[in-house]
Amino acid sequence: MLMNLQRIKMYLTMVTNALLRRKLRMFIALLAVAIGATIISGMITVYKEVPEQMGREFRAYGANLLLLPAGGSTTIQEEKLQSVYQKLQGHEIVGSAPFLYERLKINESPILVGGTDFDMVKKVSPYWQINGAMPSGSGKELLLGYELAEKFQVKPGERIILALGDGSWESPFTVSGIVRTGGKEEQFAYMDLKQMQEIVSKPGVISMAQVSVVASAAELDAFTRQMAAEEPSIHPQTVKQIASSEQTVLGKLQALVLLVTVVVLLLTLVCVGTTMTEVVSERRREIGLKKALGADNRNIAAEFFGESCMLGLLGGILGTVCGYLFAQAVGTNVFGRSLQVSVPIAVMSVVLSIAVTAIATMLPVRTAVKVEPAIVMRGE
Amino acid sequence: MSLLKLTDVAMVYGGRVTALEHVNLTVEKGDWLAIMGPSGSGKTTLMNIIGCMDKHTAGQVVLDGIDLNEVTKNELTQIRRDKIGMVFQQFHLIPYLTAVENLMVAQYYHSIPDRKEAMAALERVGLADRADHLPSELSGGEQQRVCIARALINYPVLILADEPTGNLDEKNEKLVMDLFRELNREGHTIITVTHSDKVGQAAKRIVIIEHGHLRDA
Amino acid sequence: MFWQMVKGAVLRQGRQLLFVALTVALGVSLATAMLNVMFDVGDKVNQELKAFGANITVTSKNASILKDIYGLDNASAPKEYLAESDIGKLKTIFWTNNIVAFSPHLAGNLKLDGGSEVAVSGTWFDHYMKLPTGEEFSTGEQYLKSWWQVEGAWPKETEPDSVLVGKTLAQKLNVKPGDSISYVKKDGTKAVFRIAGLVSGGGEEDDQIVAQLPAVQQALGLEGKIDSVNVSAMTTPENELARRAAANPKSLSLKEYEIWYCTSYVSSIAFQIEEVIANSVARPVRQIAESEGRILDKTQLLMLLITVLSLLSATMGVSNLVSANIMERSKELGLLKAIGATDRSVVILVLTEIFMAGLIGGVAGYVAGLGFAQIIGHAVFGSSIAINMLVIPILIVLLILMLLLGSLPAIRSLLGLHPAIVLHGR
Repeated sequence: MLMNLQRIKMYLTMVTNALLRRKLRMFIALLAVAIGATIISGMITVYKEVPEQMGREFRAYGANLLLLPAGGSTTIQEEKLQSVYQKLQGHEIVGSAPFLYERLKINESPILVGGTDFDMVKKVSPYWQINGAMPSGSGKELLLGYELAEKFQVKPGERIILALGDGSWESPFTVSGIVRTGGKEEQFAYMDLKQMQEIVSKPGVISMAQVSVVASAAELDAFTRQMAAEEPSIHPQTVKQIASSEQTVLGKLQALVLLVTVVVLLLTLVCVGTTMTEVVSERRREIGLKKALGADNRNIAAEFFGESCMLGLLGGILGTVCGYLFAQAVGTNVFGRSLQVSVPIAVMSVVLSIAVTAIATMLPVRTAVKVEPAIVMRGE
Repeated sequence: MSLLKLTDVAMVYGGRVTALEHVNLTVEKGDWLAIMGPSGSGKTTLMNIIGCMDKHTAGQVVLDGIDLNEVTKNELTQIRRDKIGMVFQQFHLIPYLTAVENLMVAQYYHSIPDRKEAMAALERVGLADRADHLPSELSGGEQQRVCIARALINYPVLILADEPTGNLDEKNEKLVMDLFRELNREGHTIITVTHSDKVGQAAKRIVIIEHGHLRDA
Repeated sequence: MFWQMVKGAVLRQGRQLLFVALTVALGVSLATAMLNVMFDVGDKVNQELKAFGANITVTSKNASILKDIYGLDNASAPKEYLAESDIGKLKTIFWTNNIVAFSPHLAGNLKLDGGSEVAVSGTWFDHYMKLPTGEEFSTGEQYLKSWWQVEGAWPKETEPDSVLVGKTLAQKLNVKPGDSISYVKKDGTKAVFRIAGLVSGGGEEDDQIVAQLPAVQQALGLEGKIDSVNVSAMTTPENELARRAAANPKSLSLKEYEIWYCTSYVSSIAFQIEEVIANSVARPVRQIAESEGRILDKTQLLMLLITVLSLLSATMGVSNLVSANIMERSKELGLLKAIGATDRSVVILVLTEIFMAGLIGGVAGYVAGLGFAQIIGHAVFGSSIAINMLVIPILIVLLILMLLLGSLPAIRSLLGLHPAIVLHGR
């Protein structure tokens, strides 16, 4: 046992000193390995994060899930939404805007008016272009669709008369802003949900909700099925235009990142491979000497193997740290948030760099061990 | 029984180039033999055969009672490890290991590294105080003395020295030769290959090799 | 003598210099591919984003207002239409190449044989047209509505009575692909729709019959007329200028107006459509147009960072290999010093050789990289990547950096080299 310990100690001395005392050469090899590990850890983190983070960007397209009343009812009780949100747990809900639509009269013509939560609208539909401001919710304010504003010839700040269809209530409202979307919204008027519910005496009731949630088309489909079974009073509908198109574009982006990762990784592999070949071949004389001293092929291979494992470990750790920094740079610059440290990726990149370095070393070593010990005797 | 006996040994490289022919040589225990001859005469080839680094193509070589015709390549490595201690013209120390570690490498391949014993061997060649220096920090003479210590570390039956003073100045040459003389006095068997007369004269016996043929001086 | 030595090195060290050239080629090809893809990724992703559907709708100037004044759902109110014959003019505007697809629409209600009334929308599915410019162009819903799930087949233009029926409506009517639906035309005669497939898209089409435009025009007695055109155009992300122009093009100065008009902002494309189609209003669909800009910006930034990383790794990798290669030759170079060469002349010799090899490798790598970019383009986006000339100067700088960086450690140790040590073979 003690004898073995002595041998192992000597083995480690040889291996570590081969690295530590041959600074320049090993520094170059270390660099090559570290670059490889940087690519592995950095790019794979980015690759993994693309659907999640870019998915969040795609939420700029607006709601990808509609919650509609079902089972014969034309309205939804507001408190029921909470149970829906709970079922969506695990997916980030960017926003959920409730809407209560009623036909009211503006300047005596019938108009569809929607009551909503404007803070949520900003999150769900960031593309709404407002000339003026959104209603604050405190005063009697109204957001007019662009077509309505053209029709009534009103500008932000002006007042109009809002009335119930049967004429039982009327009140002046200030137009806080005019909204352009290029869609149907331009034909509607919007006001605060609470005010709306009071005016039409429907407290706690909404017609529908638009939900923007970070989830793939498949996940949304699964959710829709689950809802149909568990909550018959609400019918969730996936906005296919948004959900499936998002899938297509994200798929392509991810494929692009993957392809690039593979290519860069290949280059690094070649790089590590040639560096290690170089390292081995410039030590042919040393191999010959060791053989002359009585080393057999196994000894030689074991020493190179040990060196390369250690090199892979050091380079792997160094590269993983650099890769993490790269992923952070991408996270903060592109997605505006920091990415999480993924322990499996870190472990994988270290293990992979060790494996790659070992393989890259063992290939040239296979030929190098064929060196005849006699080369040390011949003059050069 | 002789320590080393070569009978009608020949070495033909690639089936065409004849490096050695009809070589007969006997070395007894405690002998000191110098092999001399001009460049390209086959000195190094002979050295490789005696040092168990190359296999001859014809004839018989018996080292310490073992017929080298009968052994495999792996066994040859083992015999080299156990029986031969080698000293080279170019020193050949592993550059990233200290003097004492270089000795321990030889122990490591042979059996168990033992720092105490390695230090004793360095002491023996007068380099105990340089034990922790890298080869690049040692002078040529010092490096060669480390090599000699390394050659002795596994108690070989035969010490092979290939032009051991070829890269040394006069002062260091003397130091190294004194060391060899002392070793021989203690009973070590030594074969040196050289074309320096001074080194040759130090040996007990000289053989001359010319065009692959051996003759007594 | 200098060139003789260089020539000698090329011949004798051929294998090693070839290796340098190969290494450089590898790095440069990667850089070429990445840079070309990076510069083109905007266009490519823009094309992909077209999957989100039309970003401009063209309607008749007075259509919606008239509809509102006379009550929301009154289909009998007089209505203004666009002329179908004007559609081809869409492809005559300044930004014609940016218009990827479009489809006309005519909506209305039809009485079925059973007495119930259903919403019908007439459109093109896959319509082949000759443009006024003589070019040929195919467009229609099949190009615009990538998210539609069709159970059965898309209707063919050769069968004018074939239709798609919305899934929800199909359940109500209890019909399936292959069935027929008979209906009453405006003039009282009866006709039949044959169902080619069922469509589900999560929008109003789920409750409609989507039919061929000529059939609907006949049924409603509105020959040659359409309600609206949905246009999908490739656009530049909006900026401050575009927003001001969208509010009122007349508020811009002449110079600003020119910049705006000649940039493919969604608002300027919409403006140009209004110019060519009589009596029309072209409105950007903000939901699509604004989001596209955001996604594009992010994608380009992402690609830029990835490109920087891969260029960095290529540079490091190549210089690493180059330096390993020079180190191998240190003995030969030490010999030159031993026979009296000055440091400077040795360095110049080494650099000349390396740069010659690097240049050859660089050219080969550039060609290979172009091919490589096309492979990426076809694998990921299914189309070729545009070759950008801006890449070349960047590559030249990179190449010089790779080679200098690679030669640096070798040159440094070369200068510190004592000829004697090299020749002693350590």
